Parts: sequence; C-alpha cells; structure tokens
Amino acid sequence: MIKENNIKFIFLGLSLLLIILIFFFPFFWIITSSLKSPEEIIATSTTIIPRSFTLEHYNKILFNSDFFIYLKNSLIVSFASMIISIILSVSAAYGLHKLKFYGNKFVEYSLLVTYAFPGVILLVPIYLLFAKVNLLNSYLALIIVNVLFATPFAVWMLKAFFKLIPNEIEEAAYIDGASRYVVISRIVIPLAAPGIASVSIFCFIISWTEYLFASILISGDNLKTLPVGLAGIVGQYQIDWGFLLSGAVLASLPVIILFLFIGKYFVSGLTEGAIK
Amino acid sequence: MKKNNIEGWLFVSPLVIWICLIILVPIYIAFELSLFNVKIIGTSGKFVGIDNYIKLISKSKFLNASLNSLYWIIGNAICQTFFAFTIALTINYKFPGKKIIANWIILSFIIPTVVVVVIWKLMLSSSSGVINSVLIDIGLLDEATGFFSSPNKAFISLVLINSWRWSPFLALIILSGLNSINREMYDASKVDGANFIQQFFFITFPNLKSVLFVLGLVGTLLSFNIFDIIWLITKGGPSSATTTLPLLIYETAFTKFRISHAATLSIITSFMLLFFSIIFIKSMAPKEDD
Repeated sequence: MIKENNIKFIFLGLSLLLIILIFFFPFFWIITSSLKSPEEIIATSTTIIPRSFTLEHYNKILFNSDFFIYLKNSLIVSFASMIISIILSVSAAYGLHKLKFYGNKFVEYSLLVTYAFPGVILLVPIYLLFAKVNLLNSYLALIIVNVLFATPFAVWMLKAFFKLIPNEIEEAAYIDGASRYVVISRIVIPLAAPGIASVSIFCFIISWTEYLFASILISGDNLKTLPVGLAGIVGQYQIDWGFLLSGAVLASLPVIILFLFIGKYFVSGLTEGAIK
Repeated sequence: MKKNNIEGWLFVSPLVIWICLIILVPIYIAFELSLFNVKIIGTSGKFVGIDNYIKLISKSKFLNASLNSLYWIIGNAICQTFFAFTIALTINYKFPGKKIIANWIILSFIIPTVVVVVIWKLMLSSSSGVINSVLIDIGLLDEATGFFSSPNKAFISLVLINSWRWSPFLALIILSGLNSINREMYDASKVDGANFIQQFFFITFPNLKSVLFVLGLVGTLLSFNIFDIIWLITKGGPSSATTTLPLLIYETAFTKFRISHAATLSIITSFMLLFFSIIFIKSMAPKEDD
C-alpha cells in the first residue's frame, strides 16, 4: 500500500515538473527575453536569470509602429465575431437540445464535422467568392469566416450546459403560462450564464488567433489584424527579436486579461459540463 | 419525446444557413473552377473537364503532400495523446497549486498561433536558442543544431510545437470525461486489489469512450488543417519535407497562381476528409443512452 503511494507520488511529481517546464517555462522565457537588451537576446551563451533590463522594445512597438491600428482591428473583428457567434449558437444549441426535431442528429454531427472541416480547403473559393461580392478588405469578411470557425464547437459546448438545467424548472414556468421567449430569456440564459461566458471566450480566442484568412482576405495595412502584423516581422530576413518578442507579449495580453476574469468559467465549463 | 419539427428548425436555421452559405457556395465555386484551366485570379480559362484531377493525382507533389499529411496526423495524434493524458491525469489529483495550473495550463491554446511560432523560433534558434544551450550543457549535444534544417528534424520539431499548442485544450476535454466517471468504481476496484495502472486501463480508458470519439474525429480533422504553424516556421521546407496538403493548396494558389489546380486539390481533399469522417462516425459513434 505504502509502496504504491510512493510510486504515485513520484509519478505525480515528475509529471508536474515536466508540465511546468514544457508548458509554463516558455512564457517566462519570452517575457523576460522581451525585457533584455538586444545583445543579450541573441547572445550564444544563455542565462536563465536576465542580466540586462530595458523597456526599449516596448517603447518602440507602442510609440513607433502600427501596433495600435492592428490592435483596434483585432478588437473590432474579435468582439463582433464573438457576439454574432454567441447569438447564433445559443439559438441553435437550444433548438438542438430542448426541441427534438426531425434531422437533429444529422445537424449535430454535421456541426462537429464542420468545426474541423473548413480551414485551408475553403481558402481559395472563399477568396474568389468575397472578391465577387466586394467583401475583400473589410472587417465583415473576417467576421463571416470567424463565426464559421467558432460556432460549431460553441454549439457543442452550449448544448452540454443546457443539459445541466433541470427540465422541471422550465416545465414549471410553462405551466405558469410563460412563453418560450420568457423561458429562454429569464430562465435558460441566466442559468447557463457561466457556460455562455466560457463559450464567449472560446469564440473570442478563435477570432483573436486567426491568421490564415486574415492574411489573405485583407491586404490594406490599415485593416490588418495583430497576428498578420506580427507575422510580417517573423518573415523578415533580419529579425529584430526585441521588437518581435515585445509584440508577441502585447498581442497575447488582451486574451490573457480576458482569461484572468472569466477563465475559470472556461476551464470549469470545459472540464465539468462539456461533452458527455 | 414529442417532436417539434418547425420550432426546432427555426432555432437551428440561422446558424445552419450561415454555415451552408459559407461552406457550400465556396465548394460549388471550387468545383466549377476545378473543371477549367484558370491560372491567375480574375482571368478566365478553358474548359478541361476532369483533366485537372487526373493530372494532379498522378503528380509526385500530391503524393508527397498526402503522405506528409498522414504522418502529420499520426505524429500529432501520438504526441497529443501522450501530453494530454499526462496533463489530465496529473491535474485530476489534488496537490497544492492545482487550481493555478489547471486554469493556466491552457495558455498555449489561447495565445495567437503567431506567438507560438515566435516562442519556439526563439527557443529553438540554432545560434542563441535556450534549448540548444541546455542540451549542450547537459551533454546531449556536442554543438548547436538547427532544429529546422534537416527534413526529419524539422518535421518532428513542428509536430512537437503543434502538440504543445493543442494538448492542454485536449487535456481539459479529457478531464471532463474523467469527472463524469463514477468514483465508486475506483473504490470498488481498490477493494478488489487493482493498482492504479490497472485502474487506468480497465476503468478510466473504457469510460472515456464518448470523449475519445469526439477527440478522435475533431482532433484528426483539426490537425489535418494546421497551416500557420508550419507555414510561418518552415514554409513547407526543407525540400518539401513539411509540405502537407494545406500548404500545397496555399502554395499552388498564392505563390504559383494556379487557381484551378488549387481548387481541384481542395475538392480532392474535401472528399478525403468527408470519407474519413463518415467512416469514423459510422464505426466509432457511441450509442446514445438517452
């Protein structure tokens, strides 16, 4: 008995160490590196504890680049995509979960497949379609695509949250004469609020991190999103590492701040409610 | 249960229409394009029927990219299963700091892929990367190596980087499955003398069936679709070793300007994925209990 516990303890300790090293250390590394002098970043002998400290890279990216234009574009696109995705997927998830209808299993599985289906396969035809209807170089182009990527999994997650709401509560409301609209807006949505919050973050993240379509559908510099702007620096022959690293840290900051506030709903939503 | 056909479809239709418009119309356009010989976007081409299909399927580039995609899916599946289960099983235990680790493990998933690329380009840099200097310090390497310079090393590095991004997210979904397993089963098996490895294979794993079904389907398709990590790090090289089908389509359309060929590749790929999905759902979908 004691022996088995010891093995367990060693396993747990080792895997924890591995997890921290692999999944957390890289973040420590780029944050500290973004505060190092340019010479130290590219020095051949690496030291774990930084020797120099400078804010010059942040200074440069904040006051001497298009960072704020890209940030504004990313925020507009991500928020709009998130709101539209949530409206569409709450409605669809409710329909799929509470109202059994002919073909609901088919819709459900199709959604699951479309979640992973699009991507690069649709790139060329969507580009042509948007060129035809004059949507290239617009926020709307990116929003349409992001909603497509975010909603299928959002519906899948939301359905699981709706399942947790006891049927009796809704039925009681119907007996009291409440309409479908009242039941949804006063009972279902408030009770599923943590779930909706976590699905919202998911939609926001999907839009915030999207690179492929943003790089093709947008060519004007004033409409580029943060990932596309950053990728422009990655592709340069002589990489200005300090500039790039501070940009990477700043581009991650908004999602991290958002996550700070509602991240626990996201994680507990994923781990306790979703997918059963 | 009573069926609510009209109302049900009313709730679902806005999303279904949105998705159909944005998927089916482009696929129709792609299909049409694949029958013509259009090179640069906006120009018109000659009708060639199924010539594009015949030409492309027999090309070694297509075969190479298909094989790379297959290796990519298998490699990612192995790595991500390992990482995701390690994370999920670890977080499932109680230990000090568990909450922080459980909440923030997903950091690698919520940051933009471009940032993932920046992180690993810096860490794996051959001239000043921390991984190289650590490997030299502990004696595993004699001199700094270029992680993206040889075909095999580049491929493996990319698989690991992509797994780094996705495993924590998958781990949380596995955790949701773990949470739904009745704890009494573990207690009962303990009474019967099972150790924790036996518990994993006889209780944990079988009870994760429906979660693993979703992960198997979605995970495979998602890894197939990965584009940006590969493109931004190796551009498909060295010597096409990391050119998967998505990269081949992108290259064909936007660097070689063979729009019809790219459309043809998209259609072929769609059919391959659709075929896989149908087989997977038909053979693996868990039986509904409710």
